[in-house]
Amino acid sequence: MRIIDARGLACPGPVLEAKASLGKGPTDTIKVIVDNEAAQHNVSRFLVHHGFEAKTHREGNDFHVIGSFKKGFSAVPAEEPEKKPGLKKIMVMVATDRMGFGDDELGLKLMANFIKTLNEIGPELWRLIFVNNGVKLTIKNSEVLPSLKAYEKNGLQILVCGTCLTHFKLLDEKQVGETTNMLDIVTAMQVADKVINI
Amino acid sequence: MRGLDFPTDPNLIVGLDRADDAGVYRITDNLAIIQTVDFFTPIVDDPYWFGQIAAANALSDIYAMGGIPKTAMNIVAFPLKKMPIDILRRIIEGGLDKLREADVLLVGGHSIEDDEIKYGLSATGFVHPEQVITKRNLRAGDRLILTKPLGTGIISTAIKGGLASQETIQAITRLMATLNRTAAEAMKRYPVHACTDITGYGLVGHLAEMLIGSGFGIRLVAGNIPIIPEAVEYAAMGMIPGGAYKNKNFRESLVNFETPIDPRIQDLLFDPQTSGGLLISLSEQASTKLLAELKEKGIEASAVIGEVVTQPVEEILIGP
Repeated sequence: MRIIDARGLACPGPVLEAKASLGKGPTDTIKVIVDNEAAQHNVSRFLVHHGFEAKTHREGNDFHVIGSFKKGFSAVPAEEPEKKPGLKKIMVMVATDRMGFGDDELGLKLMANFIKTLNEIGPELWRLIFVNNGVKLTIKNSEVLPSLKAYEKNGLQILVCGTCLTHFKLLDEKQVGETTNMLDIVTAMQVADKVINI
Repeated sequence: MRGLDFPTDPNLIVGLDRADDAGVYRITDNLAIIQTVDFFTPIVDDPYWFGQIAAANALSDIYAMGGIPKTAMNIVAFPLKKMPIDILRRIIEGGLDKLREADVLLVGGHSIEDDEIKYGLSATGFVHPEQVITKRNLRAGDRLILTKPLGTGIISTAIKGGLASQETIQAITRLMATLNRTAAEAMKRYPVHACTDITGYGLVGHLAEMLIGSGFGIRLVAGNIPIIPEAVEYAAMGMIPGGAYKNKNFRESLVNFETPIDPRIQDLLFDPQTSGGLLISLSEQASTKLLAELKEKGIEASAVIGEVVTQPVEEILIGP
């Protein structure tokens, strides 16, 4: 078990300590010791958010928050296993549902065509991330839904911005991909060898 | 402050006994002064914007009480030996620019040396003694309008943790630096029953102050409460300030949920705000008109978030 002593730290310190520890590599169990209730709640939340089951017990004035990693948790872990040695990791970030400016109708068509043609990148296509209006490509009645589902089935990681789905009130409409957050997106950008922005 | 004896005076319209946003003292039959003070440690890294936010925050109590701020004084604590004086200059510049925008004069101030930066202002405003708007005059059937989205406490914690994006930082900086002046000016054209501004106690804490002793209850519509979308995400990641837990422990017993609500939204109800929006209580008919006017004036986040009900008494009921 990995043990982190985060006593004496005010929020968000203890969460950042836990985050730094998970960033060093995966672990099945982690114990974070904190000395205030706010930190206890925040560390529990953080661990749950990252696929752990969190339990707390008190030891004197301290709280011991123990996280056990849940097998088969669907969220993307912070650290990715290497895809294949020698292959580049190409990430495509789609922030709109139409390509370019000018004619919207044309833009929608171009975007559909773009998504359908993406597999020409080959096995180096590592992640497809949808943010802002781009999330509308992942919902019911999206023209590219069949292509996206096929990509996902073939192992492509598709991440969809949760904040954006919430903003458009489309959380329940999403049909493909994992809901993600900005931290995962930023981490992905850092890990990728190439980021293509649309 | 419990147990202390505060002298009073027939001209003291709002004093400490009522825990309102600011003190109000009648000078003549037509004129009362409103006095308030607020200061805090930096909430954003940019000194100029911190100054603006501190000034917008300090004037907010006067707007919430229906007054017009007129003069202000700086309150400064600064580590002169550790930091270049230019930083302090930028903070004060930010504050001054915000006062200028509000047509408020800076007339003085006081500074001390301290280990960490603190900045704020004491502000004085005018109001007609019969037009003072307090927290405590809810009426059954009133609608509650909130003029800024919630979530600045959670996002400030994410900023401290180095997790917030530049875009998010800019958005909440602008939000916190926005004066409640436009909202207050619009509000004064309607028969408003009660008003306060949302700050450190969070939405529920400030609602509680309006509610206690009123003989009424409040029903909120969770889906209508304006929130900063990124705050929901950071709440899930554990970026919740200690103050939110304190607020929750203190006021949780007043709150009842009609149906289960996303726990991340629940956190936002207790999130302490810096320079938050006005919370305005007025009749349903007037609320429709005021809301339209607020939106027209660019206060787009404004929303009717709930209503004053006769039952359950002194409870905050939260529905979907």
